[in-house]
Amino acid sequence: MSSPVPDPVRDRQPIPAAAGPSSPVPSAPARAPFARVLSGIVPYLPAAVPAVMLIIIVVALVHASGFTNFGLQFFSLHFDPPVDQWGIAVFLIGSFLVAVPALFFSMLFGVGLAVASTAYLPKLVTQVLDPFVDLLAGIPSVVYGIWAFIIVAPYFGSTVEPTIHAYLGFLPGFSGPTQSGGTGIMLAVFILTLMALPITTLLIRDSLRAVPKDLWESGLALGATRWEVVRRVAIPYARRGIFSAAFLGFGRAFGETVAVAMVLGSATVLPSSVYAIGNTMAAEMFELLDSAYGNSQFLAALSEMAVVLLIISLVVNVVGRRFISRLYKEQVAGL
Amino acid sequence: MAADLSSTANSILFDRSARTVWRIGFDRWIGRLLPLLFLVAIFPILSLVYYISEKAVPTLTWNVITSTSPYGDHLGVAIVGTFELYLFATSLAVLFGLFGGVAVAEFLPESAANWVRTSANLLVGTPSVILGYMGYITFCLYFGWGLTFEAGAVTMAFFMTPYIFRTADLAFTSVPAPIREAALGSGARPSQYILKVGAPIAFPQILTGIFLALAIGVGETAPIVLTTTASVLVPQNLHSPVTVLTALIWENYAQAPSTGLQTIAFQAAFLILVIVLVLNVVVRVISTIYRKRLEGLYQ
Repeated sequence: MSSPVPDPVRDRQPIPAAAGPSSPVPSAPARAPFARVLSGIVPYLPAAVPAVMLIIIVVALVHASGFTNFGLQFFSLHFDPPVDQWGIAVFLIGSFLVAVPALFFSMLFGVGLAVASTAYLPKLVTQVLDPFVDLLAGIPSVVYGIWAFIIVAPYFGSTVEPTIHAYLGFLPGFSGPTQSGGTGIMLAVFILTLMALPITTLLIRDSLRAVPKDLWESGLALGATRWEVVRRVAIPYARRGIFSAAFLGFGRAFGETVAVAMVLGSATVLPSSVYAIGNTMAAEMFELLDSAYGNSQFLAALSEMAVVLLIISLVVNVVGRRFISRLYKEQVAGL
Repeated sequence: MAADLSSTANSILFDRSARTVWRIGFDRWIGRLLPLLFLVAIFPILSLVYYISEKAVPTLTWNVITSTSPYGDHLGVAIVGTFELYLFATSLAVLFGLFGGVAVAEFLPESAANWVRTSANLLVGTPSVILGYMGYITFCLYFGWGLTFEAGAVTMAFFMTPYIFRTADLAFTSVPAPIREAALGSGARPSQYILKVGAPIAFPQILTGIFLALAIGVGETAPIVLTTTASVLVPQNLHSPVTVLTALIWENYAQAPSTGLQTIAFQAAFLILVIVLVLNVVVRVISTIYRKRLEGLYQ
């Protein structure tokens, strides 16, 4: 089947090795098969670090919880360790009670701040003002906590809460008696709003900046005002970024521990109004681990609570990060 | 005909209908009101910095900072404890994070690398109290280390590793492709490329990541409080108890004002705030220089 015309590609012959010591390709030193396999694997091994860490966390928590101890009773409203009542519903509801309003406010302010700095303010001004919002992310939560507990709480108790009670007291949830100390749901929502604000603002701002300039300008050229372009063009275009901002902000507020433990009080009953004290899962776990020492049932209950918290925050993060995976080319604090 | 057209154009260009006036006025006013929202961020920061300085600075003498006396009104023990614990934790985290990040950026195929990146992102999103529980269950109970320096340091290393890992990964993937290909194409081995070409370019960004991880780690309280016990002495060895600044705040913030312990908590908070802000400024400066250098590489 050989063609009469010599084909340099098909009829390629192995190039004869140049004889003598001046061979251009030095032969590779022979290696033992085991060493070869090992040197093939070793460079890949460190890449497993994050996955292994995640597995260690899950295995440790699940192992310590046993996970079959409590059944449906685990989601009841009664938490009373001395009489073996391990319902976590109070803390689960408490977590949502502080995280959802905090997310609402931080999204509201976040959209406002992002729109102000992308559409309205000159660049020079935003370069001065934006770092203040980013700075909020850098302040440690325990510093927020001591500031809120010592300085903000008395002000809340003496001024803010009575004022809100006087004006909004007719609404359900706002009618209860105010606390003179000021600690409680409202203060926790305030602190969590501040802590979630940098993440939501940053994400919304960057996704608004990623809206193509053509769209802004064609909107303006058609006679729309800046607000109409923001409202009808930019925000719909950036909706994925805004969506993920909501999820990541929620994750931040939901898992926050120390600041909440300092300002929320440590109630084991459901709060009756926005002024009442309550507790969240993270704060409760943090405060009670000491008492669980030597009591395997107690530790199992707390670990099971940790598993619930871990599942919720993993789900929130997976959903929130789907849209921004490669948006950021460098590290952003707290993101 | 021409008159008709010009009157139409006039009515469009000089539209004074109530709706247009409202639209333009609304835009103008919202442009004035929205920037006021920056007060929501600026006012709490100023208040926090002012009041914490007010409570901490008047009594913050050099003696309070440096004295390691075992009585409760000095910060030296906590400062030494913080320094040693975070030195240990950062070293471990840099070791794991750097090797991991380089391996993901340089060796792993893209599909596998994305899984690893996802898990690093999830670790960053995990609440710190969960890491504290992991440390307590794994190191303190299962390994039998107890509430000691080593348990706290390794838990903090767990906390900081994903941050350093992600920066190392990003730094090596953002080395300009022409430079990478030139190095590999002219026969550099992967190890030679990483050490002699990639590392000098990626180094500033990795440094930023380390400082950022440190800034976030130094402010963390929950993992430390759950895995160490407080001590009035500086740590003697890996098995001794240790006090760090954030744990000191947590223990003393609710004490009666008359005991003076609250002042200690405020002084610790002030120091932590200063440390974190300085680290953040360093991060900002390095990353600005780095960005300019990276832009220079493309020219």
